[in-house]
Amino acid sequence: MPKDHARLIAGPAARALALAAAIAVGGAGSALAQDTVKVGMIEAQTGALNTYGWMSSQGARMAVDEINKAGGFEVGGKKYKIQLINPDTQGNPQQALIELKKMLEQEQVKFVFGPFLTNVYKGVEPYATGFNGKFLLMGGATAIHFDLGKPNHDYLMRTWNWDAGDAGFGSLMVQNLKSRGAKKVAMLMQNDAFGHVARDIYAPLFKDAGIAFEEEWFEPGTTDFSSVLAKIAANKPDYLFPGYTDAVLYDIVRQATEVGLTRFWLVRGSLGPGLKNKEALDDYVIYIPKYFEEAEKSEPKVQKFVAAYKAFYKTDFPYDQAPLCSSSCYDHVYMLTEAMKKAGTVDDVAKVKEALMSFTYPGLWNIRYDKTGEEVFNFDVVDVKKGGKIEVTHIAPK
Amino acid sequence: MRAMRPEWLWLPLFAVPLVLHNEVALTVLVFTFILGILAVSFNLIFGYTGQLSMFHAAAFGISAYATHLSMAHLGVSFWIGMVIAVVLVVAISVVVGTICFRFRLKEFYFAIVTLAFSEMARLVILNWGSFTNGSLGINLTAKPMLWLPGGLVPVQGTRMWYYLALVALILTVFVCARVVHSWMGRSFAAIRLNDELADTLGINVFRYKLISFLVGNAGAAFAGALYAFYLSYVEPGYLSIEQSLAIVAMALLGGREPVAGPILGALVLTALPHVINFSAEVRILVYGLILILTILVLPRGIMGLVTKRRHVL
Amino acid sequence: MLQLVVGQLLNGIIIGTLYGIVALGVTLTFGITGIVNFALGAFMAIGAYVGWYLTDGLGITYPLAVPLAVAVTALIGLLADQSLFRFTRNNLINGLIVSIGLISVVQSVILMIWTTTPKNMHYVLPGVLNLDWFIVPKMKGVVFLVLLAVILSTYAALTRTWAGRAAYAFAQAPEAAMLMGVRTRLLQTGVVVYSTALAGLGGALYASLYSLEVSMGSSYILKGVEAAILAGIGSVMGSLVGGIVLGVTEAIGSLFLPQAYRDAYGLVFLVLILLLRPAGLFGGGR
Repeated sequence: MPKDHARLIAGPAARALALAAAIAVGGAGSALAQDTVKVGMIEAQTGALNTYGWMSSQGARMAVDEINKAGGFEVGGKKYKIQLINPDTQGNPQQALIELKKMLEQEQVKFVFGPFLTNVYKGVEPYATGFNGKFLLMGGATAIHFDLGKPNHDYLMRTWNWDAGDAGFGSLMVQNLKSRGAKKVAMLMQNDAFGHVARDIYAPLFKDAGIAFEEEWFEPGTTDFSSVLAKIAANKPDYLFPGYTDAVLYDIVRQATEVGLTRFWLVRGSLGPGLKNKEALDDYVIYIPKYFEEAEKSEPKVQKFVAAYKAFYKTDFPYDQAPLCSSSCYDHVYMLTEAMKKAGTVDDVAKVKEALMSFTYPGLWNIRYDKTGEEVFNFDVVDVKKGGKIEVTHIAPK
Repeated sequence: MRAMRPEWLWLPLFAVPLVLHNEVALTVLVFTFILGILAVSFNLIFGYTGQLSMFHAAAFGISAYATHLSMAHLGVSFWIGMVIAVVLVVAISVVVGTICFRFRLKEFYFAIVTLAFSEMARLVILNWGSFTNGSLGINLTAKPMLWLPGGLVPVQGTRMWYYLALVALILTVFVCARVVHSWMGRSFAAIRLNDELADTLGINVFRYKLISFLVGNAGAAFAGALYAFYLSYVEPGYLSIEQSLAIVAMALLGGREPVAGPILGALVLTALPHVINFSAEVRILVYGLILILTILVLPRGIMGLVTKRRHVL
Repeated sequence: MLQLVVGQLLNGIIIGTLYGIVALGVTLTFGITGIVNFALGAFMAIGAYVGWYLTDGLGITYPLAVPLAVAVTALIGLLADQSLFRFTRNNLINGLIVSIGLISVVQSVILMIWTTTPKNMHYVLPGVLNLDWFIVPKMKGVVFLVLLAVILSTYAALTRTWAGRAAYAFAQAPEAAMLMGVRTRLLQTGVVVYSTALAGLGGALYASLYSLEVSMGSSYILKGVEAAILAGIGSVMGSLVGGIVLGVTEAIGSLFLPQAYRDAYGLVFLVLILLLRPAGLFGGGR
């Protein structure tokens, strides 16, 4: 028995040591080739709300591949290639924290894109703040907006999801809505962090614009909204402001038209739900950062991007799956290399940040960072009308 | 089986941070130890007394919130806050456990009812936004303080947390081992094997089921406070069904050996995604296969492969 | 207001049949094989995705795609039974855990084939039926009638055919049934496959009404189990009634009570039933 006994204890202890060793050795970090810049990305590629994280990865991967195929980019007389480190956080803060640690400590990454999810951001923020000055975290999470400018948060920059605040696109969208004569809006949002953030941003904006505002919530995973929609319809709002993922939007829009709600106003999602229900609705007004189907014909850069996407991934271009994310993250990679060129360094984080904030990058988007470190770029407001006629308004914020 | 683990056998683990300077590996180990507490305490209820409780994640999460909220609203230290949280969880467990066991719910219904209570707790925390900040979760900036030679020191940084978590795990294991090897433990085992028979033998089934449930949940509460303050973030997801299932998976994978098994399960499930880089879909597949294979092929878990078959009494 | 309530009452009944078909699968599986097959939600997802793929991907007409989807689901159900559930007969805990593991396996395969992009079938039968005080989307009405027919036929088959009565007999007294010549292994496999087919049917019909996501089955299996327990595991018509009770409670509840706690009401109700009347509202057989 004693032999078994000892094995029983030594068992887990030994295994712990062995596994720790495996992680230590295996993850000692790939030897830094002299001419490689490591760029990290922490996004959720599976799990709830993964569309944004996944499409962001798709865009970044393409950009990295293109740059590398072209021989890399040149800074200070030397050519650099990019190594993209892109693990899946699964939307889990614990996972994300470990992945970020790996990136910063084992891989010595200095430039990290993401996260988009607020709960992931909050899980990694304390740790990231401890690395202030040693890297840049460029993410879309709304919670980032509120942390920009705080002491010890110089590492933080906010990308592609800039609706909060007076200068955010949210405010511009609400003004656009007001100009359409809306007096009463009903919001139907998912009861999770993202939904609550949306309410926290838009409720005050509506109030300031003098538009009456009602809210209803549904649990994640709901697909039948008929009862809550019937309740909303009874109060006769001018516009319905529905949830934020396409899956949910298809269902909400379809079922809303069935109970007589025919005007929609959205800041997330795609044109798909509107187009699919075009005979049944009156207006489907959406912040669709770029109306890709039209831009593809009129903007050569967009055309090139769409064609490249199809070729690279050997699939149709997903017009209705957060093309904002794929295209802007594609732009971000290029913008980063441009900033590095301008700053003359691939290592000095402070100089690169300064460079990033000093110019407007003319990519698929005209991206610039405002003085707090938040992105601002041009966008489209698309209105799908009954029958499918599409009106596009282009807005270029000052 | 011998009662306690002679402490010298745990010494190698104390030496690890002195030789291993890999932050990531140490972080994984810290999570493993804390989740190990969770899994070991769960195994008391499941592996030893044979009750599949889906309330464990709720105990874990309620304690995390309660610790922070007591610190924030009552101004107490982390340790007092944790004690308050554990007491709260035990009190809730008394209610839940009494309801379940008094009505003599059979295994499956016990799982369903504990699941129901767990979901109710999650919904309360999710929707009581003014108190718990709802789905946005709470960032925990406070730190546990320790009295060390030199004064009051906050626990921060991976190394300190490593030792704290390790000590906590050893403590938990010690307590569980004591319980398991006492007359209580023998009663638990009897109940697991056949609770009706145990009843006729004069064992007060209700009392022992309740005790194992309380002790197990107290352990989960202990883990919850530590985990939340290590991650510095608490959210309603702590109480999710996924978390409960992950705990079950840890216990099953490691094996029903009350001590080593769950810790091993916690280690494998925590570390595996970081050692082997699976694509997201494959990870889900592997997780499902683990659950299936441990039931069908490795009913005694990984530890079952290592130890000789013997009477667990 | 009355209009709203009546409308939601009817809506709840319709949604309830979808819960009912899953509950029926749960109850049959439990009655004959002694386990609760949590993976029925995943089988519903299989039926939905396959149904969608056959209709929109391969262009097969929907009324034909549905039975095909059911057949595919049943086949996978057979596979699952022979490789997994065959070893967990009457072992509730093992069966539970294995079925939960199966959910992950199925979801990962669906993800690998079809990715996480949500799927939307084209509108097979768009439009609503406007009955003055109640608006029914036409397709929803069709789904309701089909599910109702299937559940009623199952009941009829169980009570009137030899095979059905053999199943009942087996559920009541397994050894006696065996001695009387009931082919138990065939019966058990048959029931598992049939319940997966039911879930598959529910899924294929679901696909015509709602968008599809990999985790779509999880809330349905929970509601299905709730409905089955509410009515009393083992009661066939009970599963339909249980489903309807659940559907109606949710629909009407959403009108008056805070939406946020909606799921909680069902749970509280369930716990009370389990404590006060563990056999369920209609149970007593087992």
